[in-house]
Amino acid sequence: MRLKRLLLILAVMGLIVTIGAPPVIASAPFEAYTYNYYEDSVPLPAPFLPERSVSGIDLGVGAFKDPNDMFVTEDGFIYILDSGNRRILILDSDWNVIRSITSFSHDGADDHFANPSGIVVSDNNQIYVADTDNNRIVVLTNEGEFVKIVSNPQSDILPADFRFIPLKVTVDSADRIFVVARGVFEGLMQFDDKGAFLGYVGTINVTQSFADKVWRKLSTKAQKARMQLYIPTEFSNIDIDHKGFIYSTNIDMNTQKPIKRLNPSGQDVIKSFGYYPNRGDIRYRIRGNNSGPSKLIDIKVIGGGMYTVLDSLRGRLFTYNDEGELLYAFGGRGTQLGVFNIPVAVERIDDKLLVMDRGKNNIVVFRPTEFGSAIHRAVTLHYNGDDAEAVDVWKDVIRINTNYDIAYVGIGKSLLMEKKNKEAMEYFKLGMQRKYYSIAFKRYRREIMQEHFGTFLSVLVTVIVLLISFRIFRKWRLRRAGRHEAGAL
Amino acid sequence: MKQEHYKFPFHVILHPFDGFWDMKYEGKGKVRIALLILALLVLNITIQKQFAGFLVNFADPRYLNSLVDLQYTVLPFILFCIANWSITTLMEGEGKFKEIVMATGYALLPIVIINFPLTFISRFLTQEETAFYVLFNGFAVIWFLYLLFVGIMTVHQYSASKTVITLILTVIAMGIVVFLGTLAYSMAMQIYWFIYDVYRELIFRT
Repeated sequence: MRLKRLLLILAVMGLIVTIGAPPVIASAPFEAYTYNYYEDSVPLPAPFLPERSVSGIDLGVGAFKDPNDMFVTEDGFIYILDSGNRRILILDSDWNVIRSITSFSHDGADDHFANPSGIVVSDNNQIYVADTDNNRIVVLTNEGEFVKIVSNPQSDILPADFRFIPLKVTVDSADRIFVVARGVFEGLMQFDDKGAFLGYVGTINVTQSFADKVWRKLSTKAQKARMQLYIPTEFSNIDIDHKGFIYSTNIDMNTQKPIKRLNPSGQDVIKSFGYYPNRGDIRYRIRGNNSGPSKLIDIKVIGGGMYTVLDSLRGRLFTYNDEGELLYAFGGRGTQLGVFNIPVAVERIDDKLLVMDRGKNNIVVFRPTEFGSAIHRAVTLHYNGDDAEAVDVWKDVIRINTNYDIAYVGIGKSLLMEKKNKEAMEYFKLGMQRKYYSIAFKRYRREIMQEHFGTFLSVLVTVIVLLISFRIFRKWRLRRAGRHEAGAL
Repeated sequence: MKQEHYKFPFHVILHPFDGFWDMKYEGKGKVRIALLILALLVLNITIQKQFAGFLVNFADPRYLNSLVDLQYTVLPFILFCIANWSITTLMEGEGKFKEIVMATGYALLPIVIINFPLTFISRFLTQEETAFYVLFNGFAVIWFLYLLFVGIMTVHQYSASKTVITLILTVIAMGIVVFLGTLAYSMAMQIYWFIYDVYRELIFRT
């Protein structure tokens, strides 16, 4: 009887303990992955986990309505462009609303935004808003005072009936403004600090698929005239890094290079040294649900040469390093916290990522996991040239995930710097990096040859000497035998 | 088998016109030698995929399978011989099936003798030097094609232009054979599954 009671108590206690202990590790609502050398997607531990979602109601300013863009300054202030409510919300890094700008005085009258779709804040804390339906860019101070308006660009290269419809905007350290405008295929529109139109930068080349080319070859002149023109696609978004390079995305079904990095003279200098082009997903369905290449609609430079792009089609975030290697991809479509409905913008605050969701009218905050922050740390160290330090961090990464090719390459590069060629070869082989493997191998081969050159040469000389003396000896014996025969005759 | 049987293939690849003539009319060729060369080629391909240097080896180690290598070497060989025999019988070729097998087999020898050492050497090449690897591989293939051309020409006593036409027709015939084979296979499978279904029906109903 006592035993029974004891067992009962134990069982009840066991139940209480299991109920009482909450699950410690929150599982991600998405599957993170990267692509390996064979272009297979390899699952990763989640590099980021959703921390919280922030809606207008949470902030106490009324629900967001179709928010289009946001911006986070270096010192951590968050600017939200709540387009449907025609307002800008300014928040500090703890999500306290500091100010809400709904109107500004312009020419003595109150002026409002009309469907604004892009916002950026310059280094001297001026707010640039792409006020789309008003065909202008509005520049305000941090307090919401009117500074200037950029509209109606004048130039010989613009057609007479040109309508300026700005979508996205960014500004460099010299207050030059770069604008993505609707219906402009020549590139980004560039304005100087006074608001005068300077010209275009970064034209996208026209891409034609092979089938299109064949079809065009086969069609008659009349048919050709009725065909739609092959015009390059528009940019979808832009960002600028602290060196003044502009990162841009565009949406094009055929292109292999939807991400550009424009140098100050407008040339694309993006590196694409990964196993495959940096264009989001490389494996996708051709037709049916969720098919087609990624639609990159926002890009954010997150430091250390890394940049994150946002795919609106499948709701995924892709982070690349400066060499154009995919570090990780995560996210998805859905209703849970951490997946998106209509993601429109991605921003970074410290080491966290923010994603604005127009469908859910909220902003999701992602915090990096141990794995994610280790990757970021290692990539940043490598980018800054601290390869030796990066090795330890890469080793942490490998401890968490043994299938992480980039970590092997990272360690290999550092070993190569330290002239440990043989070890470097091993790591490059694990990371399937043929180019660097070749360099390491070349050095290793030279090393071996230098080391053994003396032995090799002495063996060679000995062999040659032996061969020659053997031949002489044989000849001599033959001659003697011949003489003997001659003597016998 | 005598030593000269092993030496003869080397004579053929260096003096193809002479060699193939001797093979046909002097009876110097041996089918066994031709099949041996084919076996060496299979071995060669397997070794190459497994042991060629990292810089030139693009085979996915997760899917290495020597049975697949065997299949993709021996089947095309047999297919070519059958297709060529079928075509040349209709086009007044003088060659027997045995001679076609020998000519094709002997023509494969350059690939074997070049690729064996090349696999070993490729382990000591850097990225810039892999061009030589590609060059020698290409050289082996061109040599093989030349020998095949001469072999078929001599075996059947054709003119050069007729040989080219026959070879093109052979390739087409190979396609037809594959098509018919697939057709027959799929129909056989249909019949098999039909019978199997009837059997299963009977088992479960009674």
